[in-house]
Amino acid sequence: MKYRIAVDTGGTFTDVVVADEKGFLTVGKSLTTLDRYYNGFKAALDNAALSLNTSGEHLIDNCEVLIYGTTRSTNAIVENKVAKTALLVTEGFPDILTYRHGGKQGVFDLAVELPDPYIPRRLTFEVPERINAEGEIELELNTNKTEEIINNLKNMDIEAVAVSLLWSISNPAHEVKVGELLKKLTPDIPFTLSHKLNPIIREFPRTSSTAMDASLKPLMQQHLRDLEEDLRGSNYKGEILISVCSGGVMHVQDVIEKPIYTVKSGPAMAPVASIAYSSADNLGDDIIVVDTGGTTFDVSLIREGQIKYSRDTWLLGEWTGHLLGLSSVDIRSVGAGGGSIAWIDSGGLLRVGPQSSGANPGPACYNQGGTEPTVTDAAVMLGYIDPEHFLGSRMKLNQEAAKKAIQKISKPLSLSIEETADAIITLAGENMIKSIHEITVQDGVNPAESILVAGGGAAGLNIVPIAKSLGCKKILIPRTAGALSACGGQYSNVVAEFSGSYYSHTEDFDYEGVDKTLNDIKSRLTEFKNYLQSKNINEFDEEYFLSSRYLNQQWDMEIPLPVNEIKNAQQLQIVSKAFHDTHFQRYAVKEEDSIIECMDWKGRLIAILEKPTIPKISVSDKKIEKNRESESYFSETGKVATPVYLGERLLPGMVINGPAIIEEPTTTVVIYPNSKAEITETRNYLIHV
Amino acid sequence: MLQNKDTNPKINAVELAIMANRMDAVVREMTNTMLLAAKSSVLGIARDFSCAIISHDDQVLATAEALPIHVLGMDSQFSYIRKYHPDFKEGDAFLDNDPYAGSSHAADHTTLVPVFYDGVHCFTVGVKAHQADTGNSLPTTYMATATDVYNEGSLIFPGVKIQENYKDNQDIVRMCKKRIRVPDQWFGDYLAAIGSARIGERSCKEIIKKYGVEKIIQFQKEWLDYSERLTADAIKKMPKGKLKTKGWHDPMDPILPDRIYVNLDLDIDPDKAKVTVDLRDNIDCIDAGLNLTEATATMAAAQGVFHCLKEDIPANSGSLRRIEVLLREGCLVGIPKFPHSCSMGTTNFTDVIINTTMSSFAELGEGLGFAHGNYCNTAASGVASGTDPRRGSEPFVNQMFMMGGGGGASATTDGMHYYFVPVGAGLLYRDSVEINEQRFPIMIKSMKLLEDSMGHGRRRGGPATEVIMGPRGSKMKILHACNGLETAPKGVRGGTESKLGENVRIAPDGSEHPYPAVMNIDLEPGDLLRSRDQGGGGYGEATEREIERVLKDVKNKFISKEIALTVYGVVIIGSEKNDSLDVDIKATEKKRSEIRKKN
Repeated sequence: MKYRIAVDTGGTFTDVVVADEKGFLTVGKSLTTLDRYYNGFKAALDNAALSLNTSGEHLIDNCEVLIYGTTRSTNAIVENKVAKTALLVTEGFPDILTYRHGGKQGVFDLAVELPDPYIPRRLTFEVPERINAEGEIELELNTNKTEEIINNLKNMDIEAVAVSLLWSISNPAHEVKVGELLKKLTPDIPFTLSHKLNPIIREFPRTSSTAMDASLKPLMQQHLRDLEEDLRGSNYKGEILISVCSGGVMHVQDVIEKPIYTVKSGPAMAPVASIAYSSADNLGDDIIVVDTGGTTFDVSLIREGQIKYSRDTWLLGEWTGHLLGLSSVDIRSVGAGGGSIAWIDSGGLLRVGPQSSGANPGPACYNQGGTEPTVTDAAVMLGYIDPEHFLGSRMKLNQEAAKKAIQKISKPLSLSIEETADAIITLAGENMIKSIHEITVQDGVNPAESILVAGGGAAGLNIVPIAKSLGCKKILIPRTAGALSACGGQYSNVVAEFSGSYYSHTEDFDYEGVDKTLNDIKSRLTEFKNYLQSKNINEFDEEYFLSSRYLNQQWDMEIPLPVNEIKNAQQLQIVSKAFHDTHFQRYAVKEEDSIIECMDWKGRLIAILEKPTIPKISVSDKKIEKNRESESYFSETGKVATPVYLGERLLPGMVINGPAIIEEPTTTVVIYPNSKAEITETRNYLIHV
Repeated sequence: MLQNKDTNPKINAVELAIMANRMDAVVREMTNTMLLAAKSSVLGIARDFSCAIISHDDQVLATAEALPIHVLGMDSQFSYIRKYHPDFKEGDAFLDNDPYAGSSHAADHTTLVPVFYDGVHCFTVGVKAHQADTGNSLPTTYMATATDVYNEGSLIFPGVKIQENYKDNQDIVRMCKKRIRVPDQWFGDYLAAIGSARIGERSCKEIIKKYGVEKIIQFQKEWLDYSERLTADAIKKMPKGKLKTKGWHDPMDPILPDRIYVNLDLDIDPDKAKVTVDLRDNIDCIDAGLNLTEATATMAAAQGVFHCLKEDIPANSGSLRRIEVLLREGCLVGIPKFPHSCSMGTTNFTDVIINTTMSSFAELGEGLGFAHGNYCNTAASGVASGTDPRRGSEPFVNQMFMMGGGGGASATTDGMHYYFVPVGAGLLYRDSVEINEQRFPIMIKSMKLLEDSMGHGRRRGGPATEVIMGPRGSKMKILHACNGLETAPKGVRGGTESKLGENVRIAPDGSEHPYPAVMNIDLEPGDLLRSRDQGGGGYGEATEREIERVLKDVKNKFISKEIALTVYGVVIIGSEKNDSLDVDIKATEKKRSEIRKKN
């Protein structure tokens, strides 16, 4: 038996999803081990192996492809735990990251303090040099001054350097030279050059992604190298692919060079899995995807089967936060999850999050030293999570500890333990509803018209009341919900892009120059394709794109190239027509007698990976049997005897009426009163609210 | 934020929010279309345009992140169009820029498209875009020296039907191409505006299709009512107060030999949930391009008030019902009298009104209002023209957006650093250095925030920006007129004022030649132009500023060690060389008590 293993390391849990040759998925889960991530992975893998009656070693020995996703880089940026990074810019322009694009939210709200730039002014250094728009050198790089700046970086304990000079995209000579000086003078400090990472015109987005990438290098390069070393050390011989922010995967070596691609990569995989599940059960292609982990709650959106992407992905706030500068899956995140801590603010009001107990110490009931009440502790006290059967009985929870923690706040609130616990779950849900509103209602999408796909270990605890409040009628909870992002890894493809800049325009088209550019892209693409073929990947899609604009338009527009080559007027005519048509479709106008300027050319290779097919099982007429009863609390009913079902015993066609609890090895689904769950042909849970 | 207090609303609170957000989403879609399809950088980069959706009965309904000065007024523009074209129909598009009939200034071409569904006029969508050129007698869209509209020379389109059955009226297009500089640029921008409006029309129809005409009409009423209630609630939270106050505009040789005062009476009445701004006691229209229009005078006062309310108020006609702005006919800051020119009707005096309104709130109570923001609209945001030697001497004309402009401090926050001027409200985008250099034959030497350039206080103003640039191998003309060379944005409640702005030509021999407020700048190859705008004013006493904030400002070179010591009373030790700057707490306490005693 051959396996594919997908891993997702979150702030609290490490999830593993193992696919066998028939497409059956098995989930394993363990706490994330911050000191050495491999240990958490191995524990989660052993956990999955147990369900498959084999060993983690056996799975690794027989694994062909391993797909690794992590929230490490995102968390580092959000928590401001990236490397101390210096920014080297052209003399005269120290404030590129402070000015950003300009613009802000809230028309009349002026009492807003703009967040600090990604790299502060005090760590920004101006290099005497200047290149002009045509790529000519106006002022030679002053190497003495540059060396002086670089030498002083050591005194300032700088750990990484970002270099972004004006017009490096039209002549990279000075950036290359600064790179050489850095290599010579500070060989141990990693750096990123803007023209290599993200060669786009406009200094702000280019500088922003360069700064982010450099700041992640010490951390992420170590992280990925450790992972690779540990995997190879355990005798793993297959491919290592890394999830990236586009919802695709890249080879580990490429990501080590450009760690920025791992930002937001974990949650980017959740919608990939959601499409696969929703379409397998014919549940439509307008989907809201939510993923509740231990630390964060992520929402993404699928409209008409297309994942919503954002060209302008900001962290910590649109316009005023930090710009990723790369296209990525649009994900909104809030600090809310199973580990979110409940507390009472100075005004006496109950609050939940954004602080999280994380993996260590974790919720009080984990018995690892945590004493603060969390959402998970509340679920234990409400009888939703059985302390004896948590994570398929692999982890015993301490109910007494949970009770003690909740008492800390129930007393000042003068509420019973259950009422307090119920309030904690409700409040955590409010934060989640708000962030779903952000991506739907604020963009004019009515959540009531979508199906909600819920994943993450803690999703099942309160997804029913959340759906009710949003007006959603249906929720799909996959059996593998506990590891939705990791599942996405199983359904993703390798996506690689190769681009080249070559300016020409339709009035006097340079057929030869464009042909050379396109051929160069094609040969690089083919080289990578050959490499993948040597790894037994045989199905490919190739797409070519042109970024072009009407003469003197400010922004260019990317269109798919409708021809394979442009060697004569007839082919050029087809390209022009495609541009006019796309322009009309997108902007409702076209200017057919205008010259079209062609700027950038791009080839995209999609290597279609073999994916597990989702097996279906026919409807069963077996009777449902509950495993036991639990004394659970619901605000509508108070304490009530609630049947508990084991997920592995439930078969397609069965219907469970709330109140009820379904236990899966990696997640718990609470079916609230007045809702019901139906087991689909793929053995997933479809809840009718 | 949503509290529906109607006893019997037909649309519930959640649905009202969804529909309102959906309208905003359409406005954003229109905005994106205009931005991405435009040809001039004043539109495509700086976003000096605004989109809005107007209700079936000519009220501004949805504006997303549009500039308030642009969008409020589009309602009455369409009312005039009804008069001229009572039989308006599906497929029509109108072009309007008449400052005497609801528009802002002649440079703002507004494209208005009525949206029909099942034969019913349900909405009007509008795009108001500041043109790179409008055929003025001089190559600028801000013509301070215009003695009247004839001298200004702008082409005027009083509600002209430019499309019928979705087809351009070629006569009008030809007229524009014959009179507007760089006609292809204008035509591209015109197409982008039409595209943006048609995209808005398409999306509005989808929404009407979903909800039905009746519900859409009902929604319009309820949303405007809700906006009014929200504004009323916010006013009720303000202290009652009346204040007679005045702001002023610098002299502008030769058109304004003296400083011009603007008298402004503010009346906050929480009992009636109403704010009144009286601008009637002011001088008559002047023979220069600085007169405001009815729309911009009204909106400037209202914008100042909205900034000071502690609620997120939607910019629409509903909210405006709670702000009464009293204007006088034939007044400089009121309703202009033909043929006075309003070429600069969106800036200068609007900035004075907004700043004065906001600082008046601060005078009425601790925690309220703002210090003044940047007055100085420098040459770095002027209209540049010339020919490009890199492209066979092709002519160019366009407004640049390179300045920063510090915002005034509030009681709780430091001022913004890309506020622009008050009327921009920090909403405009900034030009990219690379895009500007690609487009125009200029070389930008530097663009940066200036140390110690802001007013100080418990909260400090945003810093000023300095831009140094010059032409590349050809002559270049820059026309502009600015305020703020003699008056600095003032601080409030003990906060200090910032510094003066400047525009200086640096000749190849290094000699410096400052420009007056009305600038007619001719740069030769080798010349450099240095522009400095102003920082914002401070709020509260500087010695009350947290030590950590002062230290951070010193580390990041916003404040020098000297100012930290003399103004903030904070003693800085250590060295920037090894990133070890710190505060001597004891010495600081001593210094601060000394300063307090002295004051």
